[in-house]
Amino acid sequence: MGTVLQYLNQEPIRFLISFGLVLFLVLNLAAVLTMAERKVSAYIQLRYGPNRVGPRGLLQPAADVFKLFTKENVSPGRSDLWVFLGAPIAMFLPAALVWLVIPFAPDAVMADLNVGILFFVAVTSIGALGVVMAGYGSRSTFALLGALRGAAQMISYEVPLILSLLGVVMLAGSLSFVDVVNAQGDTFWTWYFLPLFPMFITFYVAGIAEVKRVPFDLPEGESEIVGGFMIEYSGMTWALIQAAEFASMGLMSAITATLFLGGWQPPLPFLDLGAFNWIWFGLKTALIMFTFQWIRWSVPRLRMDQLMDLGWKVLVPLTLIYLFVVAAAMLVFQEVL
Amino acid sequence: MLGEERRVEHHSALTEPATVRLINPDVRDEFGLETIDMNMGPQHPAMHGLLRLILELDGETVVRCDPVMGYLHRCQEKIAENRMYPAVIPMTDRLDYFANMHNEHGYVLAVEDLLDVEIPPRAEYIRVLMCELMRLASHIPSIGFLMLELGAFTPILYAFRERERIQSIFEAVTGARMMFHYIRIGGVKADLPPDIPEKIWRFVEGLEQNFQSDFVDLIQGNEIFISRTRNVGKMTQEQAVEMGLTGPPLRCTGVDFDVRLDYPYSVYPELKFDVITDTGGDVEASYRVRIAECLESIKIIKQCLEKMPEGEVMADMGRRIRPPEGEGFGRVESPRGEFAVHVVSDGSDTPYRVHYRDPSFVNMQLLQEVVPGHYLPDIMPIMGLVDPVSGGWDK
Amino acid sequence: MSLTLPEGDLGTRLERYLEGLRNRHGLEESGIEGNVVRVVIDSESVPAVLATAREELRVLHLSFITVVDREGSFELTYELVDFRGARVRVKTVVEGTEPVVPTVTNIYPTANWHEREAYDMFGVAFRGHPDLRRTYMWQDHFDHHPLLKSFEISTKRTFEGLR
Repeated sequence: MGTVLQYLNQEPIRFLISFGLVLFLVLNLAAVLTMAERKVSAYIQLRYGPNRVGPRGLLQPAADVFKLFTKENVSPGRSDLWVFLGAPIAMFLPAALVWLVIPFAPDAVMADLNVGILFFVAVTSIGALGVVMAGYGSRSTFALLGALRGAAQMISYEVPLILSLLGVVMLAGSLSFVDVVNAQGDTFWTWYFLPLFPMFITFYVAGIAEVKRVPFDLPEGESEIVGGFMIEYSGMTWALIQAAEFASMGLMSAITATLFLGGWQPPLPFLDLGAFNWIWFGLKTALIMFTFQWIRWSVPRLRMDQLMDLGWKVLVPLTLIYLFVVAAAMLVFQEVL
Repeated sequence: MLGEERRVEHHSALTEPATVRLINPDVRDEFGLETIDMNMGPQHPAMHGLLRLILELDGETVVRCDPVMGYLHRCQEKIAENRMYPAVIPMTDRLDYFANMHNEHGYVLAVEDLLDVEIPPRAEYIRVLMCELMRLASHIPSIGFLMLELGAFTPILYAFRERERIQSIFEAVTGARMMFHYIRIGGVKADLPPDIPEKIWRFVEGLEQNFQSDFVDLIQGNEIFISRTRNVGKMTQEQAVEMGLTGPPLRCTGVDFDVRLDYPYSVYPELKFDVITDTGGDVEASYRVRIAECLESIKIIKQCLEKMPEGEVMADMGRRIRPPEGEGFGRVESPRGEFAVHVVSDGSDTPYRVHYRDPSFVNMQLLQEVVPGHYLPDIMPIMGLVDPVSGGWDK
Repeated sequence: MSLTLPEGDLGTRLERYLEGLRNRHGLEESGIEGNVVRVVIDSESVPAVLATAREELRVLHLSFITVVDREGSFELTYELVDFRGARVRVKTVVEGTEPVVPTVTNIYPTANWHEREAYDMFGVAFRGHPDLRRTYMWQDHFDHHPLLKSFEISTKRTFEGLR
């Protein structure tokens, strides 16, 4: 048994197995999130969600996926087919790739890059490209408007996103996710969300904006430009875009949990589960995903200019000023940190 | 001579000549930019019905907005010329289907104006009671729709829970949830069932208690709601009166015109209530006006229940309704504004001409006038200000 | 910029409106019934009378414009409302089957859509209207005006020209 595990632990078999596992995880996460979204929204709106398929409706995602497999992939007649079909892939790839560098448990990370955070930032930028491809390739005015809004929004909110990451990097002293999690101790008052509270809020808000969820879902504004950039997609192509959206929502939650809430670290030392600390990681990620959904079903959406105002005029100055505060604090309290 | 002078001073889309607005030459400015022509078409999930808006966009700013109607036109005025007077009432139900009682009431008032008949007081009180319940059932979902178009998906479900309760009261009284055919010429169809006043009282008390927490707390102070609705669709009183607005869109600018007080009909002179106005003139002001009007309606319902006399509910009209030649006018305050009916009779069983002045039709002129200059996402809150119903503007 | 609505006793206001209209224009018939000032004029003086009503008498709201097809002539009714209990009803009769009436859009801008509806349903042309299009019916290939008494309700007639 030991030799089998040792054999499997060698590169490249280890990488292939873990990559397959992660892909499985991401796709299932997308499916389960659709179900969770519907149930959470239902209970907030004083109704039951889907409760027919399976016990208490738990097999609903399976029914949804089956339905989407049987739908026809329609594309507009004059659309640019390569761009049109490449867009869902360009949107899904970033959501799937970044899971490679996130630590699930001590020594359980697929690729221990020492520039993990930089990798995350670089790959997430491709998501904006996917949105523009979808809107441009659809050759429709609504899609074009949605794509332009999406591009503007995602690019503008990357700035506060990255600036808030810098605080974490300064405190941890490294760009690697593993180092960041290790540097946050196993007590919840040493996790980074307390000393870096404005950064935490900014990262959270910018994360919602990157994932294009309410209150920042103007690119797919349902009320005016029905579906926005994904208005012309149906069937499996649409399913891939939806999966990309939910997977990136899960990804943002996971990264928030990793950077600010301690990753797999337990809140108190005696709650340490050793190799099963991925349970703590999962709980924290699930909590943040729940708050994403909670916010979605409670507040209206922002208009484009208000959204940009929030990003550039509120979040960027906040993070810039707080960076100086953190740097000053690190200088003064050098022996503590 | 007097007619040729241009009376309207400010720049109004309603008085611009067609050549400026309809023909769109290829206008490129020195940067080579041009505007996009877009269609928020009849198939749209959030359009309050079947409406086509022809928009001309300069980036995200709307330069020109043209509503094209007629997708639900059912020729009600033509059909009414071939139906006997009582048979027109179910058709008026289907005009503005969120304010059925008011439509029926308006038409019936017009015919009773022709016939000059005395309505028993109990019937009048029941009519007012039903109309005010209908006003509640219309204003609360309109708040829900406003929030739905802004992107908050939850208030509309709370609103429809209240509307379902009102509809079950209507079902007990009239037999139907939506198309009532209850207010008849000469009275109402049947008396209230004996347990209904108690049920209405309990419902209204419960609504009054939960109103603040359900519909006001989560919305009125919400930062995003305020920034989306304040100063959006702002109108002055002059503009509002020129556009012919009535109802909450007019009262939210500060003009206190309410048909129930200024042109009283039925038993409204005996009931005490206030006219709600606000000085904002924007979408947030119209939201506040509708919220306060719900509370006023609750007051009126309670007064009706207390003061309702005993008696019969239908006057003695005879078997045939054949008014003498002439014209009859009826005017009511529907939740959307002033609903007026003009009935022309030629002495036979069927009307010669029925003309409905629907508030949704007239209030839609606001879209042509006020939307240009706003952003594209602002169109939906402005439609929430007008709160049109497609059966109304299309007849 | 707040609007002042008319004050005072209803009866005196109605008298004032009637006097104001009588003094400035030649009216065919006029009188007060209930809270309505009924006035009948000829079609060419409609803009002048309505301008007086709006500017001098401060009757600010045009409630509706009704057209009745009397099979040989058209009867237009303009109902003006002064927001405080008084109504002014202006009637005019236009002879013939191709009626032309001057527009009142530059006096009461809300008349824009009322006149468009009258044009769509009856074929009444309004001279000087900024934007005389149909409201409900098809703009391009529908030459009939549905509410005329000569337009029969039957499928054959309605779709003639479209199939």
